[in-house]
Amino acid sequence: MSIRKLLKKAKSFLSSEERKRKEKRKFLERVIKKLKKHEKNLVERVKSEHDKNNQSKIKEEIALTHAQRKKGLKMLKKL
Amino acid sequence: MLTLEEGFKAFTGGVLESLLRKTTDKLWKSLSFGIVSTSIMQSSSLVSVITISFLSAGLIPLAAGVGIIFGSNLGTTTGAWLVAGFGLKVKISAYAMPMLVFGVILIFQKGKGLKGCGYILGGLGFLFLGIHHMKEGFEAFKDTIDLTAYAVEGYPGVFLFAVIGLMATVVMQSSHATLVLIITALSVQQITYENALALAIGANIGTTVTAIIGSLGSNVDGRRLACAHLIFNLVTAIVAIGFIYQLTDAVDRVSEWCGIAPDNYSLKLAVFHSLFNGLGILLMLPFMKSMVRFLQRVMKPRQRTVAQSRFLNKAAIDLSDTAIEASKRETMHLYDHAARIIAGGLGLRLEDVLSQQPLDKVIATARAPIRFDIDEKYEAIIKGLYSEIVRFISQAQSSLSPQQSDELFALRAAGRDILEAVKDTKHLQKNLAHYVLDPNQEIRREYNRIRVALASVLRKLEQVRKQGNDSTAVLSLDALKVAMKEYDHELDARMNTLIREDRISASMSISLMKDSGYAYDITKNLVRMAEALFSTGEIRTREAERSISLDEAEVDELLQESRVATESQNNEHS
Repeated sequence: MSIRKLLKKAKSFLSSEERKRKEKRKFLERVIKKLKKHEKNLVERVKSEHDKNNQSKIKEEIALTHAQRKKGLKMLKKL
Repeated sequence: MLTLEEGFKAFTGGVLESLLRKTTDKLWKSLSFGIVSTSIMQSSSLVSVITISFLSAGLIPLAAGVGIIFGSNLGTTTGAWLVAGFGLKVKISAYAMPMLVFGVILIFQKGKGLKGCGYILGGLGFLFLGIHHMKEGFEAFKDTIDLTAYAVEGYPGVFLFAVIGLMATVVMQSSHATLVLIITALSVQQITYENALALAIGANIGTTVTAIIGSLGSNVDGRRLACAHLIFNLVTAIVAIGFIYQLTDAVDRVSEWCGIAPDNYSLKLAVFHSLFNGLGILLMLPFMKSMVRFLQRVMKPRQRTVAQSRFLNKAAIDLSDTAIEASKRETMHLYDHAARIIAGGLGLRLEDVLSQQPLDKVIATARAPIRFDIDEKYEAIIKGLYSEIVRFISQAQSSLSPQQSDELFALRAAGRDILEAVKDTKHLQKNLAHYVLDPNQEIRREYNRIRVALASVLRKLEQVRKQGNDSTAVLSLDALKVAMKEYDHELDARMNTLIREDRISASMSISLMKDSGYAYDITKNLVRMAEALFSTGEIRTREAERSISLDEAEVDELLQESRVATESQNNEHS
């Protein structure tokens, strides 16, 4: 590794802003992952649900989870 | 000792607290935790005060607290070993000055960690310097004054010196400091070995004073723990005094086995200290459960008015994570009262609202006139409790990191949201109480819809609270925002029809509009409160959840999208 690269790494490690940003990313990614899993489960559930009323409720929940995940992904891109 | 405590307190912002939480679920774990943490921190007082604050905040059970205290009694004996084995042999005063210089420099640093290191270095520096000067002092008047002339032999001496040791520890508030004094005095033969043993026994009782003072500001569990501490140390001391000659023999045998010279009284004192505290643990351990039961029976919680706080105590203010946890639990307690008041304001019982019954059925059976006095409950419970939370948070805020401050701020805001929700329920109740009994079926139905909507909010909040560890559960609260918006939209459409067809009067429609606004605000406040209060993960996970949750404009957008989707689906079908 060249000295310049090493210096760059050391700088990013020492910079608190950079560290905070990375940490924020990490936790946001975790929540998004959970939401994705939840959305997948809901999609499976809606397939096996026969009651129309329940089906529409689950669909609403899917739409909501999707919107939250989309918002999270947008934020992740900005970070 | 004070400086050392200050230093370790700087590091209690999470590490010690999370360790304490994880390592106290079994007796052997809490015992080992007490031994290890006290050995590291060299202060049983700090460990006992932290344990009391944890207990008061409801984070650990009494049995675990007692286990830690028992362990810390053994852990504190490592101090005697350090001073006797290391402090008197090596010329530690040479290290004292550099430690003090660097310690003071670090104390003036901004970072909490560096400051903590500074306090620890400074504390150790003072301790080393103190040992050196005490040794020099005793040696200086060794030739002129002989304190051993005042030595008292036999049992009267044991009692007298135990009392002196007790008093000295009460004054210095540190058994460690007393022990350092005893060992240095013993090393230059200013006190006899037998009297030194008695002094150490007295110091062991005296150390409970710090815990007793710490427990004064705490709740009944804190006081029970301080009492357990006192009982343990008293019983150990009585046994040690009763069998002092047998113990001395045992110390001689153990010392011989360890290779300690027969005339090395300082190390023999350390052996004695460990032996009699170990003996105390062995003696008291079988009775621990009965002792906990006895304390619970004898020390009953004070009869409190409902408005008094349960989890806030002065001991928790200095420990950042404990302060946050205590504030959270107290705000949760506030919500419990508020939920009951809101349900009462709707003419319902909270138990029915949270039951498995369909809400339509619950509402249909609750036809009695609503006479629930929200104002009285607000004044008697909510206001007092919330002001206590606000006061506690303001006091705790001084020693927190920015992230922890944000967390406390969010909790205070959650409390305010609860307050607002109760106030809005009061406004809503005025018309609701009147219209749910109105002969006009349409208006009755509309007001019952409001009751169903708000009851379902309370039910959903309870569900989320039960599975608070899951991010998706907390984020599912956004569904309530969507449902409320949808309700508002549908009500608008329904109201137009009702007025047009003259099924409700204009004044009824105005009341309905105003009250649906209150219901909307109640939901909004409760959801915002739950987002802050019901997520239980790490602070940063909670922050991430909060940032992802949808705001009002995004909820509108989502509703718009779903309406468009439904319309296009309907068109396809037709």
